[in-house]
Amino acid sequence: MKNRNVIFGIDGIPFELMEKLSNNDIMPNFKQLKSEYIFKRLRSSIPHISSVSWSSIITGKNPGEHGIFGFTDIINNTYSLSFPNFNALKSKPFWHQKPEKKHIIINVPSTYPAKKLNGIHIAGFVALDLQKAVYPDKYFQKLQGIGYEIDVDSKIAHQQSNDIFFDELFRVLYIRKKTFDLLWKELKWDNFMPVITGSDRIGHFFWHVYEDYKNPLYHRFLEYFQEIDNIIGEIYNKLNEDDTFIILSDHGMERNKYNINLNTYLEDQGFLILAENLKKYNRISKGSKAFVLDPGRIYINKKGSYPNGTVKKEDEKIILDELESLFYNLKYEKQRVIKKVYKRDDIYSGKERNRAPDMVLVEKKGFNLKSGIGKEKIFEEENTLSGKHNENSFILINKEINVKSPSVEDIVGFLG
Amino acid sequence: MYNANKTCWNCPAAKLMGNVDFRACGQARDKGLDLGEEEEIVIECRRRPELGYFEPNITFEQCPEWTPTEYGYILKEMKVMILGIDGYLGWSLALKLAKLGFQVSGLDNFTRRDCVMEKGAHTIVPIKRMTERLEVARDVLGININFRKLNLNATAKLREFLEEVKPESIVHYAEIPSAPYSMADLEHAVKVQENNVLGTLKLLWLMKEVVPETSLIKLGTMGEYGTPLTGRPLYEGLFPADAIIEWDDRKWSLGGETTPRDPASFYHVSKVQDTFNILEACKYWWLRSYDVMQGVIFGVYTEELAMDNRLRTRYDIDEWFGTVINRFVAQAVVNIPLTIYGKGEQIRGFIALNDAMQCMIRLIISPPEPGQYDVVNQVSGLHKLSELAESVAHVGKEKFDLDVKIQRLENPRVEADTHPFEVVSKKLPHVFGFTPQITLEEEIERIFAVLKEPEIKNRIEMKKHTIMPITTWQGKKREMKVLERYDPGTKPIKGFKPKFDN
Repeated sequence: MKNRNVIFGIDGIPFELMEKLSNNDIMPNFKQLKSEYIFKRLRSSIPHISSVSWSSIITGKNPGEHGIFGFTDIINNTYSLSFPNFNALKSKPFWHQKPEKKHIIINVPSTYPAKKLNGIHIAGFVALDLQKAVYPDKYFQKLQGIGYEIDVDSKIAHQQSNDIFFDELFRVLYIRKKTFDLLWKELKWDNFMPVITGSDRIGHFFWHVYEDYKNPLYHRFLEYFQEIDNIIGEIYNKLNEDDTFIILSDHGMERNKYNINLNTYLEDQGFLILAENLKKYNRISKGSKAFVLDPGRIYINKKGSYPNGTVKKEDEKIILDELESLFYNLKYEKQRVIKKVYKRDDIYSGKERNRAPDMVLVEKKGFNLKSGIGKEKIFEEENTLSGKHNENSFILINKEINVKSPSVEDIVGFLG
Repeated sequence: MYNANKTCWNCPAAKLMGNVDFRACGQARDKGLDLGEEEEIVIECRRRPELGYFEPNITFEQCPEWTPTEYGYILKEMKVMILGIDGYLGWSLALKLAKLGFQVSGLDNFTRRDCVMEKGAHTIVPIKRMTERLEVARDVLGININFRKLNLNATAKLREFLEEVKPESIVHYAEIPSAPYSMADLEHAVKVQENNVLGTLKLLWLMKEVVPETSLIKLGTMGEYGTPLTGRPLYEGLFPADAIIEWDDRKWSLGGETTPRDPASFYHVSKVQDTFNILEACKYWWLRSYDVMQGVIFGVYTEELAMDNRLRTRYDIDEWFGTVINRFVAQAVVNIPLTIYGKGEQIRGFIALNDAMQCMIRLIISPPEPGQYDVVNQVSGLHKLSELAESVAHVGKEKFDLDVKIQRLENPRVEADTHPFEVVSKKLPHVFGFTPQITLEEEIERIFAVLKEPEIKNRIEMKKHTIMPITTWQGKKREMKVLERYDPGTKPIKGFKPKFDN
């Protein structure tokens, strides 16, 4: 095979971490590659979360086209959250754009359930039934045989000690590597796309460990990235000369200190009225003007769109303007906490745009946007997850690209 | 409507897929329901697969699969399996549900027919073989009922039937419902407990394995509580949140704990054992159930039963399976004095057949949440037995010109025949929107009208020797002494005044 592509994904890793760990020789293989090839910041999606970003990476489209705006969405004429999966993706991923090519796709988030393709597909999280996550069927038993895991069990992090969660992270990483090795030789492919997702979990739970070299788990954090670097080295050594090799992340990660419960803020400001005795978003009552879905997606409570929607079309613009000013004025200890307020048409274009949030917020460093429906306080100190996403993902590519500041939507165009 | 705000969390079409915790973009490995604060339950809808994965938060009012009716929102063509479908209640409910558009299936092994026949008695309202009943139901009502002759204890076959039908609600009427039958002797006591307790236990295991999202509406009895002589109210299964126990100058909350049970026969013990088995199954396996503490049932009427004589439900008057009001009316029709046991100051909760069916529909269409075990006291009024005899005699005299007498027998049972009685029954009227549709006297009149039909009167005459009690709680059979005979309206009503908190 000529002009093959390997797209190696490391979920949730910022440009700065790759820079630092390679410079410190924790990731020598990556260090070597970045000295030879292009290593750049990659602009993540808005919002910068895996489901949206990976959907852009594999389709080359913005969310207004591919229709994935978050991990959650609201089901029409309800206030119930849906968890959009691969069936909700409205644009074709590159493996369906080029059905004549052979593809091996492993662990790309939000590609569940797996669909027929010319090759092999093992979907990434959220994928609650392994059998439906695998195409063709015959690989299901093979994967079961090696104890394949879709994801690390994040419950361990909440219920058991940190060192046990590290054991889980390594265990799943080794299974992932075993799977990459197993499928590499399975057929003559044109595109091979393996993704590691434990990297995002390690960032969320242990960013404070990364920032504190005295932490007893610090060496295990580094060791995890050494293992990733080993995988990178092994893959690189197996490449042909004319292969395109891309290493990338979908979004970055940084220290999280405070969660901002945006629905509580809207409630506090009289934009949201919550009923008692109901649960979650069903508490939204008539008279509410707007509500928020994670992470910072603002929806106008439009008449005709939601059960208790009351905002008329002609009033939407006024409310959006009011909200913009409201969010820019949200402060913690006299400091503004919202970096940017995007209105829908500023960032989304395409046929799915009407389903998009009316507004998306991007927060300043140290703050994490949450919907937080029914929470008491607007600001809450975060005690469990020390890492939160940011827009600073990275790309390493072994060929010239003519894009100065690439984004996740450009990746499909880089494939040979 | 009372169930408009119920959600997928209550809906049997929701299939639990697992948990996600988007704080760290992850998913948990178990399919647990004991969530952390920010974890999400992920479900799929069996009826609306196009929704993909979602949280169980769509309300019945918002969901197109639930449609408004006079009973509340009903899940379209909801699949209900009735265990004990050939019985007095099972048959009545099957017709009513099927007529409302439910997909009704049911099983029965005709134990009730056999037990009544064993006593030498028969249902005084004649009923046909099941195949004929189903045909008539099809011809007259235009409904199809999926029937299987099956014993609840036949585990493998029951599993097959559950897998085939995948019911969305199971109504469990398949128990032997007789205190005196269970007290007759060793063989009968064992038969009742084996059928009731083990049958229900097996059902619970199979539900866990085959239909864990299906609700179990289980018939218990008000008799589980007994009649506490302190007058302590009979709460609905569990103590209310503000109940307190005080002892030795200390206090503890009893809120949410199960209330004491004081069964009065081995049959009632079987119901109490069921209660605890179901409670535990809900706790261990997240099954969901309403345990229905039904008062003494009476009556002949539902709209469907009344449409054709061949659709009527069975009606027993014998010592073992007859219930008190039904038996009184039969006695009045054939000029036997109405028999009350002991002083006749026993107070019980009662409900008419048609009202009980209304309650059941409301419970079926407002299922509990996963893991929820709840109890409802299904009672529409409290009556003293001596007063009931007066009421039956009164209706018989006024409407049918019958000269009815009353007699007191020595009490074959071990029970208090004078006791305070306070019943709490708030959930059905206040949570499930139940309003009784008929008074005691109106239903008694309807019964008289049916039982006075010549064929039925004749069938009472044929079996009137089975009415008088001969089964004592000591396990000996003998005739009870008549203590007193009197004309209605000639004796003052004594004893405690019942209190109904509804």
